[in-house]
Amino acid sequence: MHMQKNPAIPDAAAGPAVYREYARQWLGANLPAHMRSDSLDYRTPTLDECRDWEASMYQAGLAGMTWPKAYGGLGLTLREHLVVNKEIGALPMPESVSSIGKELAGPIIQTVGTEEQKQQFLPAILAMRNYWCQGFSEPDAGSDLARLRTKATQEGDSWRINGQKIWTSGAAKAHYCLLLTRTGTVADKHRGLLMFAVPMDTPGIRVVPIKSIDGKDSFAEVFFDNVVVPDSARLGAPDEGWNAAIRVLSIERATNRMYRAWRFECELRQLIAACKSDPVLATLLDDGYYQRRIGEVVGEIDALKGLVERTVNQMVAGDRIGARGSLTKLYWSECHQAFMGLAQSIVSQVTPRSSALARRARKHFTTAYLYARAETIYAGTSEVQLDIIAQRIMNLPKDL
Amino acid sequence: MSMTDNDLKPEEFGQAAAEAIADAQPREFREAAQVLANAGLCGVCAAEDAGGLGLGIEFALPIVAEAGRLRLQWPLLETILIAKALGDSPLAAQLARGERVATLALQGSLAEGFAGHARHAAQSDWVLVADGHGGGALLDRRTVELQSDEAMDPEFPQAWLTLDKAEVLATLDAAAFAALQRDSRILIAGLVNGAAEGALLTTAEYMSTRVQFGRPLSAKQAVRHLLARMRLLQEASNAGAQRLLAKDEYGRTRATGPVLANALGNAAFVLEKSIHLHGGMGFTWEVPLHYALREVRKFDAAFGAGALAQQSGRDFIESV
Repeated sequence: MHMQKNPAIPDAAAGPAVYREYARQWLGANLPAHMRSDSLDYRTPTLDECRDWEASMYQAGLAGMTWPKAYGGLGLTLREHLVVNKEIGALPMPESVSSIGKELAGPIIQTVGTEEQKQQFLPAILAMRNYWCQGFSEPDAGSDLARLRTKATQEGDSWRINGQKIWTSGAAKAHYCLLLTRTGTVADKHRGLLMFAVPMDTPGIRVVPIKSIDGKDSFAEVFFDNVVVPDSARLGAPDEGWNAAIRVLSIERATNRMYRAWRFECELRQLIAACKSDPVLATLLDDGYYQRRIGEVVGEIDALKGLVERTVNQMVAGDRIGARGSLTKLYWSECHQAFMGLAQSIVSQVTPRSSALARRARKHFTTAYLYARAETIYAGTSEVQLDIIAQRIMNLPKDL
Repeated sequence: MSMTDNDLKPEEFGQAAAEAIADAQPREFREAAQVLANAGLCGVCAAEDAGGLGLGIEFALPIVAEAGRLRLQWPLLETILIAKALGDSPLAAQLARGERVATLALQGSLAEGFAGHARHAAQSDWVLVADGHGGGALLDRRTVELQSDEAMDPEFPQAWLTLDKAEVLATLDAAAFAALQRDSRILIAGLVNGAAEGALLTTAEYMSTRVQFGRPLSAKQAVRHLLARMRLLQEASNAGAQRLLAKDEYGRTRATGPVLANALGNAAFVLEKSIHLHGGMGFTWEVPLHYALREVRKFDAAFGAGALAQQSGRDFIESV
């Protein structure tokens, strides 16, 4: 399946500058005001609005940049992906409602999926025809997936799945679950892990939302009670899918949501614009403490941009990223948490008499501050990242 | 030189520089000048007509990083910068050949009659100061009254300079001086990050071999995580400094202030924790980490101890 190329999309041979200008123009012209978090017209977009927006970005050639053309992608390199991501980051738009599909399930399917699975799933992910959730964590297996208990038992041409997942983002809206199970016992630890693409409407699946710190039902517990799926739902052989997932995760840790540094800069601009719009908050910008803290955030954003760009250069040159993705993940998550702490302290001074933009910023940054608590937890906690850096980058011995 | 510029790789200069710097390190100041100059380090960015290699500042960055890593006590960074800024002047040739050594006063100006934060001024021949009108003035150090500033570093003190009778040897126009200041911030970020890298390597090695409670200290999670965090900050500083070498997507030069402020803060953190992790030994004069910490703190003071971050904040606020 080749994506029907939109004639407006520039040819990659035209160079990154042309693609950048195209992306900037298109995003600026098409992002609805009510989806811009810095706009007074902002309102929380519905799932369908997010879907339509992301689908339109795909049609415009701003998603699936590096995916093969045969599966709906554009077959470009990470360089074009980075160029587009910088422009995406520069605008205060909603996060993807299908990041698990685009950044985890898609790359894993590309690695271990059958041709039929690739044709079935990949174009649908890009076109936003289906969303995915990630069924990895369990109540007794958070960072330590060796304790995973959800069991898959083969019965002829199908598999019977029993178990429970937790912290499953977007489970209520997802069409498929990228589900990690084990075929043996817990004593097998990391051996015998098997991955599936499980339709979420399969009988026996029950989703129980969990209210998160920001007041939303962001994630859920998902129960699998005698769920039967055909063998065609299996992604790779036992161990193969999980090993692919580990590789994908290490790359994704370095490359997913590549726009973050540029989005953080966008958030900083939004914060300062809100302060300037209000006489009380504006005085904070004259305060040396806040000036210094803002300068520190700018320095951290610059360093993060450097880490991301270096990663892209290394990957384009054919280098393996390996554990180095942990550096980027740890840095962005901790820097952004600290930044959101600063933002929250500033917008906490907003009152009902403050400017409309300041009141908008208060709502946005208070939620963002709370949501940022998750950033050092998901995709591997800070402690996991520190372990990886110590073990695999620094080779620090644990014994003589 | 038979290679074209396209064949040269900046990182290879770092490897070659390490050998020359290690050779120069124990030598007397003037001998060290010859060693460093003969290795092509003093004139790496100087004009070819002045006997230099005529290379960009990206080739000096790994050199000063090695100087930081090896804790070189010699104004290599300053000599490289001033030799570059002097263009094809005979003075640049003298610096490239190691016949003369120059340093840079990071505060004050000729117009004020006072300058400061000049490393190794007492041993240097020339000192470059701001002229107070946007440009720079290269002064004969013998005509400058020096006051040693030993508070932070009694062994390798900086100097305060009284400039009332200073003889000007050469001047830099505003554009040339601004370019030198920009280059200096990039190289100082590289030098202090190199100092952090050196300290981290030393500390990681020590933690991997120092046995307490039957295991190396590196087995302790608190130690492992602290070392990993130090590595993270050192990598982040490095990535930030490297990024300054390229223009942005629209052909504009990138702001150096935020990156240098970040690098100074990160280097100080890594060095302070390196000293801490060495325990009582780290507190002694014999473990040389204190030299690197003093160097970073001297640079931090020269840029106003936090003023750089504050200015970066002000600049960003104004840009919105």
